[in-house]
Amino acid sequence: MQPAIAQSPLLEEFAKSAIQAVATVELIERSPAALGDAILRAVGEASRILYAPPHELPSELFSEFVRDRRVRAEPTPEEMVASAAGVTEAFAGVASTGSVCIDISFERTGMVSLLAPLQIAVVAAETIVPQPRDLFRADVLDGRGLERDFVFVTGPSATADMGPLVRGVHGPHKLHIIVLR
Amino acid sequence: MASVANPAEITPRQVANKSDKRALLDAIRMTLAVQSPAVRHNTQTFNRNRYAATARLADYDALKDRAREIKQNAIANLPELLRQLEASVHANGGHFYLAKTAADADRYICDVLTRHEAKLVVKGKSITSEETKLNHALEAAGIEVAETDLAEFILQVADEQPSHIVAPALHYSRERITALFKRKFATELPLDTGEELTVFAREKLRQKFIAAAAGISGANLIGADSGSIMLVESEGNIRMTTILPPVHISIAGIEKVVPSRKDFGTFIELLPRSGTGQPLTSYVSILHPPLKAPPFAAPGKQPKPREFHLVLIDNGRNRMREDPVLREALRCIRCSACLNSCANFETVGGHAFGGETYSGGIGGSWEAGTGTLMNARFSELCTGCSRCVNNCPVRIDIPWLNENLRQRMNFEQPGSAGKSMFGAMTGSAVEDRVAPLQKQFFANYHTMARRATRVASVSNAITRLRFVRGLMESVVGLDRRRKLPPFPPKTWEELHRSEPTHTATPAEPSNVLMLADVFTNYGSPERGMASVRALRQVGFNVELSAALPDGRAAMSQGMVATAREQAKVLAATLLPHVESGEVVCVVEPSVLAMLRSDFAHLLDEATWTRFAKGKFLEPMQLVWSAGGDLAGIFPAARSPHGARVFYHSHCQQRTCNAANETIEVLRAAGFDVVTSSVECCGMAGSFGYKHEYYELSMAVGEDLFEQVRAAEKDGPRTLVASGTSCHEQLWAGMGREVLHPAELLMSTVAT
Repeated sequence: MQPAIAQSPLLEEFAKSAIQAVATVELIERSPAALGDAILRAVGEASRILYAPPHELPSELFSEFVRDRRVRAEPTPEEMVASAAGVTEAFAGVASTGSVCIDISFERTGMVSLLAPLQIAVVAAETIVPQPRDLFRADVLDGRGLERDFVFVTGPSATADMGPLVRGVHGPHKLHIIVLR
Repeated sequence: MASVANPAEITPRQVANKSDKRALLDAIRMTLAVQSPAVRHNTQTFNRNRYAATARLADYDALKDRAREIKQNAIANLPELLRQLEASVHANGGHFYLAKTAADADRYICDVLTRHEAKLVVKGKSITSEETKLNHALEAAGIEVAETDLAEFILQVADEQPSHIVAPALHYSRERITALFKRKFATELPLDTGEELTVFAREKLRQKFIAAAAGISGANLIGADSGSIMLVESEGNIRMTTILPPVHISIAGIEKVVPSRKDFGTFIELLPRSGTGQPLTSYVSILHPPLKAPPFAAPGKQPKPREFHLVLIDNGRNRMREDPVLREALRCIRCSACLNSCANFETVGGHAFGGETYSGGIGGSWEAGTGTLMNARFSELCTGCSRCVNNCPVRIDIPWLNENLRQRMNFEQPGSAGKSMFGAMTGSAVEDRVAPLQKQFFANYHTMARRATRVASVSNAITRLRFVRGLMESVVGLDRRRKLPPFPPKTWEELHRSEPTHTATPAEPSNVLMLADVFTNYGSPERGMASVRALRQVGFNVELSAALPDGRAAMSQGMVATAREQAKVLAATLLPHVESGEVVCVVEPSVLAMLRSDFAHLLDEATWTRFAKGKFLEPMQLVWSAGGDLAGIFPAARSPHGARVFYHSHCQQRTCNAANETIEVLRAAGFDVVTSSVECCGMAGSFGYKHEYYELSMAVGEDLFEQVRAAEKDGPRTLVASGTSCHEQLWAGMGREVLHPAELLMSTVAT
């Protein structure tokens, strides 16, 4: 994230931590055009993009993005395991660790955020909390973290089991986070 | 079992069960020969990262207190929590099974899978399933098991037990994995980088995830209120295992249950930081299965309904809960901090310092709790250095657990007239006289030393005789290769009596009682005298107590009864001073640690409450507290040893926060100080003297020697250490004189 657009200390810490966890982060205007642009820039030449529609953010925000022919909101099993990118929303972010929290209760969110080599997570700036422990408090984000099935995603999948540190194991090789202003 | 000549030919499985002592010794030789470089690199990386990661937690200590309390209460209320959890899992639509034994758990899981006609299951890392030997049971039932954590995948290919509770294959270097895969898979693919190996394994396992009928995971924590589980990982295989197949089975020990999902908030901050030293691992899943979203369905097929089974195992845990010592181990959250902060573990790993499933400092209690006492024999490798204690997120006093296991193992030994007589002569408590001669010898060091110093020149002449060293090796197991420091002609007590007692005429001298600890008194009285003089130099009035044993040596041999007797006498002697507000100063850090913390275990509660109010300090803490002009009193430039020093603080000194002042004092006096960063020198009291551990002790010491050599690249440095053992180890490894900080300071004072 360019320093100029990090506006609050929490956001700044979030961006710093996420970069430390080897994710990439960008902060954009909250509009369908800006989001569509940002996602398509991130996926680059990908021939197929898995997409799990949001449950927190208004789906109109994704209206520009879904017009792209490569987007699969209802992928076949073959497409599910052979796509280059997966796009989901995150219902929260964590500043101290640079994590995004993905709710996997819905239809395909779990798989879309897991099976493609490039994971893209869209998170609203106001849902970024200071620490992981905040997700276990009834008074933070209406206690959503206490009710849902979700995953703290911190950077891409990684292993040191084969000797040196390798990024990209069973899960995504890259994580790109888009923060909505 | 017979010893194999070539340690490289020993397979880890052969030496997994260490109830036979030969297996432990062979395992040490094998790991030193084959695994040590990879184990060292990986554990020391985790160790460094953990220190950095926990330092960034503003409320680390408060979190540890909270974590300890949550687990403590959960264990106390376990039966009730299990009832509540069962109801929660049912309410979520899952199945709950409480297995009494490992075999019971395996049978239940096999039944579930057979009902689903499963041919293939994918598994995430679960040490609990290693404990139950689940893979054997599944394979016997004709079900293929794909271990999907890459470390477990390596172990499955190699047919080895885990060597670490978090990174089970960290004893494998990249080169050894390449060789293993090329051999086992007979492949010509290039597998010469971590990436190539990872891609190779990933491709094999992707197909398994998609085809598997069921996924088996462990659980890092379970919330009774909601049937929630927390799963910590980095590779994404656990997410695959829990999301893709229709059937999810989670297996865990009953001790993983905490009251509420809310409690996860405390542990999520501590577990990854304490383990690999990451703020969070790549993925932490918080689930209350079965998941609502449908599982993966093969092309053209309808997704099956989801099914979830939570299989909790007792397998000895309820017995541990009734045991005052092993009960403490139930708090363990399997973070591995006690493995990574242990110098012995860093050098040999869990194939030597571990059993069939569990490893490291906490591993002995788990092997004893879920198996038999003698399976915990590897816990002999815990030297009691205490470096793990402050790093344990649930504050388990791991050395104390191991000292108790050692006592129980001593009690399993048959008594003999010889042992009994030796014990009576040297000072063992009556019940400890069944302990092996070697243990009684080292436990009663002070008795031997007292007699030897009376006739020091004779003792020194005798112990230089080769046949005497041979005899000592065969009778009490004192390794003949270990250089023995000579007995001094006079004890500290004797030297002190002939010292003039005038002070540096301060306005209001304050009184300090110095304990003539037995290690300094009989082993290195000059360090004691230098400490007395340094304290007087900065204005303290110093008195010396009588030389009394403190229980440290006995405790380290598992002779807890003897340690209790000694602690009782010493506490009674010191209490009047403590209660009059006098500071008690202790030169030997391992004795300082006894007074500050270990006595809590050894004294009765009422005495400990009174004793714990005392101020017990290391000499340099007092010098620092005096606040004088140290550069003027101890000008480094005047030292005949030069101003360049290498300082190694003692392990227990660091644990009880009594090391920094030494560095401050030396720097204030004008010394150029480079410090060591090893956890322990490897000597650890008697450990490095013991015939069976001599090589391991020297291998551990090599890290310290290497740091000295690195610090001396630009010129020699004077070696300085605070502990008796550290002196001996540095002396043996570097072959030259080692000074106590007080000796260095006093070398600057004109006489």
